[in-house]
Amino acid sequence: MWERLRTWGSRVWCWARMRRLDQDFAEELESHTTMLIEENLHRGMTPEEARRQALLRLGGTARLRESYREQRGLPRLDQVAQDLRYATRMFRKSPGFTLFAGAALALGIAATTAVFSIANAVLLRPLPYRDPSRLVMVWQDDTPYGFPRNNGSPWAFQQWKQSNHVFDDMAALTHDSLNLTGHGNPEYLHTDTVTPNFFSVLGVNAAVGRTFTADDGRPGAPLALVMGYGLWVRRFGADPQLIGQDLLLNGAKYTVVGVMPRGFQFLDPAVDLWVPAQWTPEFIESRKTDHFLTMVARMRSGISVPLASAEMAVLGKQLATGDVSDLTAVVVPLREQLAGDTKPALLVLLGAVAFVLLIACANLANLLLARGSARQREMAVRLALGASRKRIVQQMLAESLLLACVAGVVGLGLAARVTRFLGGMIPPGMAVDGQPGVNGTLLAFTAAVSIATGVLFGILPAMRSSQVELVGSLKQGGGKAGVGAGGQRLRHVLVVSEVALAMVLLAGAALMIRSFEKLYRQDPGFRAEHVLTLQTSLPRPKYQDMARRSEFYREVLQRVESLPRVISAGYTTYLPLADEGGGSVVTVENHPQDPDHMLVANVRVVSTDYFRAIGMTLRQGRLLDRKDGPDSPKVAVINESMARTYWQAENPVGQRFRRGLLQSKTPWVTVVGIVGDMRQGGMNVPVRPEAYFPFEQADFFAPDSLAVRTAGDPTVLTEEVRQQIWAVDKEEPVAAVMPLQQMVEDSVSPARLQASLLGGFAAMALLLASLGIYAVLSFAVTQRTQEIGVRLALGARPADVLRMVVAHGLRLFLLGLAIGVAAALALSRLLAHLLFGVSAGDPLSYVSVTLLLAAVTLLACYVPARRAMRLEPMAALRYE
Amino acid sequence: MGKTKSEILQGTLDLMVLKTLHAMGPLHGYGMARRIEQISEEVLELNQGTIYASLVRLLQKGWITAAWGTSENNRKARFYSITARGLRQLREQTENWERIAGVIGRVLQL
Repeated sequence: MWERLRTWGSRVWCWARMRRLDQDFAEELESHTTMLIEENLHRGMTPEEARRQALLRLGGTARLRESYREQRGLPRLDQVAQDLRYATRMFRKSPGFTLFAGAALALGIAATTAVFSIANAVLLRPLPYRDPSRLVMVWQDDTPYGFPRNNGSPWAFQQWKQSNHVFDDMAALTHDSLNLTGHGNPEYLHTDTVTPNFFSVLGVNAAVGRTFTADDGRPGAPLALVMGYGLWVRRFGADPQLIGQDLLLNGAKYTVVGVMPRGFQFLDPAVDLWVPAQWTPEFIESRKTDHFLTMVARMRSGISVPLASAEMAVLGKQLATGDVSDLTAVVVPLREQLAGDTKPALLVLLGAVAFVLLIACANLANLLLARGSARQREMAVRLALGASRKRIVQQMLAESLLLACVAGVVGLGLAARVTRFLGGMIPPGMAVDGQPGVNGTLLAFTAAVSIATGVLFGILPAMRSSQVELVGSLKQGGGKAGVGAGGQRLRHVLVVSEVALAMVLLAGAALMIRSFEKLYRQDPGFRAEHVLTLQTSLPRPKYQDMARRSEFYREVLQRVESLPRVISAGYTTYLPLADEGGGSVVTVENHPQDPDHMLVANVRVVSTDYFRAIGMTLRQGRLLDRKDGPDSPKVAVINESMARTYWQAENPVGQRFRRGLLQSKTPWVTVVGIVGDMRQGGMNVPVRPEAYFPFEQADFFAPDSLAVRTAGDPTVLTEEVRQQIWAVDKEEPVAAVMPLQQMVEDSVSPARLQASLLGGFAAMALLLASLGIYAVLSFAVTQRTQEIGVRLALGARPADVLRMVVAHGLRLFLLGLAIGVAAALALSRLLAHLLFGVSAGDPLSYVSVTLLLAAVTLLACYVPARRAMRLEPMAALRYE
Repeated sequence: MGKTKSEILQGTLDLMVLKTLHAMGPLHGYGMARRIEQISEEVLELNQGTIYASLVRLLQKGWITAAWGTSENNRKARFYSITARGLRQLREQTENWERIAGVIGRVLQL
């Protein structure tokens, strides 16, 4: 054992000092030789004879040195080092090939690595909560109302929490805002009101201080708050003394009890702080049908998601009572909730980069095959001199692996640069551990991909080049040793697959781009240009009084509208694209009610000029105006979807409806006008029925979003608008200031990113595939130079030669195209639900990419074909 | 050279080198090769270079050491000497060799 160890230790040590030891040994042999020569001279030989005999007795110094070195150092490593040295030399000799191959590979690897780093963050890396695989979201299943994942009511939450047997614990939260005053400028703070067990369900502790205890949730207990790390640093300079101090929020005193660790977030990265919910039994009882809670639960260990779902479904039936007909809950794993639509998009992109990498591999394999036949003589000589086939394959693989690894390193560097750009793919609600930069997983992935790539594109050419027919190759002259039909077929297969893969990618990209176009160019129902939007939330105690609220709105609107360059301004409860929900059950007068199909309309409370400010179109009747005051008849404007679905053929204008059920005490409201549908939840979220109430007649919701239509760039007015609001109430924070256009851009940005990424990958694929066709054809032309010369000499016209070469290329193209279209049609079904307004089989997309691919292929065929056509017959015949 | 030459059994060269170094003290490669040839009365004609493969093996196992020195003719040469562990090995291998040689001898006399 010891000997073994010592031997290997010594081998490694000697290998490291190879150069010195080689020299030592050379000297030693030299001295040995000298002694032999002296001995021979003593025996009376001539000096030349003495030397010759000496070398004979020693036995060939070169071979001796080789075997000595093998025994002394690491034989395999030695060979590898030698192969690598040789490979480097080969690359240096053909810098053009090396540069092209390396760049293609590096780009492919960079793209793969970058997409993988995002996929890793979104789909694989554990979420930063304790035992995150046991966390699930719990939603109320309100499919009959069009809300398969609805928020729950406090009452439902309490029922579920008490009666289930599958969760360790269950927490609820609702998004809110609180206005911070008393420390410099007033600030609008995003707040989550949470049940006190919220942090313990997630399993995250405070970084400083503590999180909530059950006591904090007791009605009447002193108000506590837990602060987010961002707010703590931004507003309070990370002052640890803040713990235990009081802050003034909405005019009430809250004690800071803790600060969460940096990066902690749940569902919404904008949340600045958390306050405990303090629900009285009366409150819970009174909120049976108000759905505003988001619920998260920790499953008991050993409970699976299907099991939990089944239990919650059964429970829903049991809990149903008179006024709450169904309490079925849907259980959604937290990661699925957070990843949402990103998962299919990421899988599509991963597939796309894998295709690009495969095309790059096929391309390189092709180039190596071509080079391999040029190097056939070299291989034949080496085989003849006694190299084993294994040794040749090993050397060829060393070349491709070296290339792939260098490309891998460059690719990793590139990927690190583009990952930030790709970061937009990570859903904002998803808390990720650190940045999606370079980490161990990523390094391992890149290394694996590089090596796999190197083997993938290197192995076929390596196997081929070791199968040289010795005698034939050595006899034939120069580098034009015939390529066997096998080699040619292999190259054709590679090119056909490149074309097919490129076709699949192009088709996918075309679909995504067309889908994005449709999404972006559609009429969203409002005109986003030149509109500034912002939020002013009126704190409750101060603005509890309806008259006081109305006073604020009237004064702010009047002041803002009187600003130069302001065209109109309006308040609303929800800006477009901000929220698809905010619905309420409605009852239409004189229509029978179907308990299984309750009517639910989005309710928006607006000021009269809101429609003009946002640029909505009136279809029928009138908009709200100043006469619709608190004492005049109750009126509303509805959207086309509501008119169409609730009144069908009837004319809704002049008809009445009310919020709530038939027996509710809410007032009947007369429809005075119909406006065009406007996108509420996002550019690709279907429009729901929607009703607009004047704020003076609707005290149930307080508008907090202001839209200002301006002449020209809206952002220049930011400061003036803010000053006008502060002139009305200097404690009123102005938040979320942005142009409406920005909201449109944000809404389509995932689709834009996906389309542009897929488009970029498809462009790479197109380029690589066309280069592949070009390379095969130009190699074929070189190979057939003599044949073409004979044809020309025998009277073939140049056009015939052109046709022959182009036909060769087109045959490959058509075969690849056919396979590609079939594969694309099959695979595009995976894209189906990422598409908007375009079917997965959209003919226009397929036809246009086919034409594009055909045009590029023709170009790639034409260049070598023209060269063939212009061959001088005599020169071609002499061509060696 | 019309003499019948004998092939060296694999591994036996190592043993011969050890024994030579044990008997003669520090030696260089040439000296060792000459010595083995002489003792074998020229029956064994070494391809003298093969001795170096043996020397590396022994060095790697730590049974011998090497150092540069000056030869009797005032030449720079590398001298090898046996180590304590080498001596122990020599003893063990010699016993082993004799036992096996005895067995083979008896078998061949059957």
